[in-house]
Amino acid sequence: MNIKVLFLSLLLSFPSILLSQKQDTTDLFKRAFKHKSKKYIKESNFQKAQSFYLEKNWDSTLVYSMKQLNIPTNDFEFKNYCHYLRGYSFYRKSLYKEAQEEFSNITNKFNFYETVKKHLGKIALKNKEYEKAIKHFVEYQKNASSKLIISDKGSVEHNIGVCYLQLKKFDKAEYYFIESSKIKERSKDTLKLISSYGEIANLYYNQYKDDLAIPYFQKAYELSKKTNDFNSKRRTARNMAVVEENRKNYKLSIVYRKEFEKWKDSLNDQDKIWEVAELEKEFAVKQKQNEVNKLEAENKLKVAERNKLLYSAIGLLLLLVTGGYFYREKIKSNKIIVAQKATLDELNATKDKLFSIVSHDLRSSVNALKTSNTKLQESLETKNFTELDTQLNTNSAITNGAYNLLDNLLNWALLQTEQGYFEITSMRVFVIVEHVAYNYKPLLLDKNISFENTVTKKDFIDADQESLKIILRNLLDNAIKFSTENGSIKVYSQSTNNNFYELVIEDTGLGMSESTRLELLKETALLSKKENEDIIGTGLGMQLVKQMIQKNSGKFNIESELGKGTKMIVSLPKTAS
Amino acid sequence: MDNINVLIIEDTKAESDALVKVLNTNNYNIIGIATSYKDALDLFYNNKIDIVVIDIFLNGNPDGITFAETINVVPDASRPFVFLTSSTDRKIFERAKLTQPFSFLMKPFNELEILYAMEMAVEKFYAQNDVFLSDEEDTVISKDYMFIKKGKSLKKVLLNDIIYIDVEEKYCNIITEKEKFVILISLTKILDLLDNVMFCRTHRNFIVNTEKIQEIVPADNLILLAGGHKATLSDTYKTIIKKIRTLK
Repeated sequence: MNIKVLFLSLLLSFPSILLSQKQDTTDLFKRAFKHKSKKYIKESNFQKAQSFYLEKNWDSTLVYSMKQLNIPTNDFEFKNYCHYLRGYSFYRKSLYKEAQEEFSNITNKFNFYETVKKHLGKIALKNKEYEKAIKHFVEYQKNASSKLIISDKGSVEHNIGVCYLQLKKFDKAEYYFIESSKIKERSKDTLKLISSYGEIANLYYNQYKDDLAIPYFQKAYELSKKTNDFNSKRRTARNMAVVEENRKNYKLSIVYRKEFEKWKDSLNDQDKIWEVAELEKEFAVKQKQNEVNKLEAENKLKVAERNKLLYSAIGLLLLLVTGGYFYREKIKSNKIIVAQKATLDELNATKDKLFSIVSHDLRSSVNALKTSNTKLQESLETKNFTELDTQLNTNSAITNGAYNLLDNLLNWALLQTEQGYFEITSMRVFVIVEHVAYNYKPLLLDKNISFENTVTKKDFIDADQESLKIILRNLLDNAIKFSTENGSIKVYSQSTNNNFYELVIEDTGLGMSESTRLELLKETALLSKKENEDIIGTGLGMQLVKQMIQKNSGKFNIESELGKGTKMIVSLPKTAS
Repeated sequence: MDNINVLIIEDTKAESDALVKVLNTNNYNIIGIATSYKDALDLFYNNKIDIVVIDIFLNGNPDGITFAETINVVPDASRPFVFLTSSTDRKIFERAKLTQPFSFLMKPFNELEILYAMEMAVEKFYAQNDVFLSDEEDTVISKDYMFIKKGKSLKKVLLNDIIYIDVEEKYCNIITEKEKFVILISLTKILDLLDNVMFCRTHRNFIVNTEKIQEIVPADNLILLAGGHKATLSDTYKTIIKKIRTLK
């Protein structure tokens, strides 16, 4: 009965031993392991597996080491490392069978082969295969004797002792326990020493060597008083109680028992506190979780809001850009409209002016005709036939002038509305000049002006016949108008340009000042100034001439000297031969 | 040489009078003055017309163009047209243009312009441009006539009336039964334009109307023609004998 109780306590102490020894060794070992496996670090899977191993993340270690193993390689040492990582991870996850398999895959050339043996031993111990465990541990001791760390050595010996104890080989167990406790005494590890003393005491007690056992129990008990570990205090106290009870020393036994109860209570209390703490922790965790959830929800809302804001901002930006674009377009078109309006206004003003001048001219013409007719009637009544002829001549001159004005007006209107027929053809300049000049024969005769058309018959130009006639008509009209009696008008060509034919209408008339000349050549000038009441007209004729020449893709120029005469030069494209 | 027969289509009396006056002075023969589309067609089909002067607007309608279009549809009926118009309306002109070839004249016009327009109409119609105004030529040849510029006006000669043509450099002496005159035309052009069945070259300088040949004397290299005219037959062109025999 007592033995059983002791055994129980012994088994209970197992994990603590196994755990406590780890703390010291693993750090050292890990450092060594990391150092040795450095050369394989470039393998990404292995690197990950190793880092997870160092972080004690066993599942991930298993995954990555498996991945690494799936890549075929002939490097056994490298494979050993992988197997070791897997074995150790399985071991830490308490999957002993798998761990054993992985460890057994490691060849004896492995750098840490003795460590593998130690782990195999531990696994065998867990599986209660004590003899196998002893074999592994002894091998470990043999191989690792030089590098053996004291605490590690102690724990291994302790483990061997446990194995022998289980096999009831008490003498061997005793030897190992004592060795282990000696090591622990040296390393001043109180807790381990207590358990070691407990083991030794148990060992003797199981062999009914009470005399030997009791001092160890007492030593353990004394030591436990110095520690804060409730478990040790409880165990040692209970052991003492059992010992005293067996010695029939009930009084002392009760004292120990009470102490045991006390430690047990405090342990329970501690457990309860732990539980409460656990609950509190759980509660706190739940609260935290709630908070997290709340925050998450808030975050989601925030994200949604942010997205909404972002989209609306983008939308606004787009709206702004398109708005800006259309605004600019509008401004552009407005500018165009304003410019067009300005030119239209200008044109309209010109037209108005033209109207007034034309109507004024016509009015005076008709008025002149009226008075002339009255005179004519008078002459007829008085049978003054000599007067009649001159008066009729005046009349015809007046009507001619009015007709020319009206003709120009019509042509100008046609030009503006682009209704007129316009066709560029090749023609003889000479013939056209002759045709136009034919109409002016009487007028030339009347003013006794000599006319000469010295254009070569063979000269061809490209022009619209009707517009060329209008141009020549107006230029001749002007030449005659500004010529004095007995003057002369010459039409001839001067060739300076290969592609253009320059037709010159030269008169020996009044000529014009430089300012008038420039004004006449201006793009849209309508000569409204009436310097000379009789001969300066509307300027409509000149305007028409310029526009017609432009339409025929020609050029126009004036050379003039006041008092000597004027040269009107019309350049038109030659017919390509 | 005969005068040119002209048909005038014009509804305004004053204008047609002026036109008749000008044309008569320049030896044109006015066949008639039509004042409507119907009259015009009647006169056109009942007379031998050489040139038609057409006023586009008759009583306010562009019947002048309609007339030209009607004539153009009949094969071989068409003649050179001169369109008269006071309107520069673009549409009307585009329509008139479709009756190609055409010559047009803007009212009011002077004597020179109407004569020029008549000449242009003939040139354009027979597709022999720039003849009457050049110094090198003065004759347009149609299927039946030669149109020759004499002074300011045009004259015509029926091709059938020609007995033979004596070529002298760039001049050609035309000998008909009644008269003899000189025209300006190049030899190549005249050969090209004359019907080569009717007119044959017998010598470097002679083109003979085969229908006027009365006797050929190969031994003397002589061809005796109607009206007592003689032409030389050179060796180069002796093949003409075979041609004429087969014809007879």
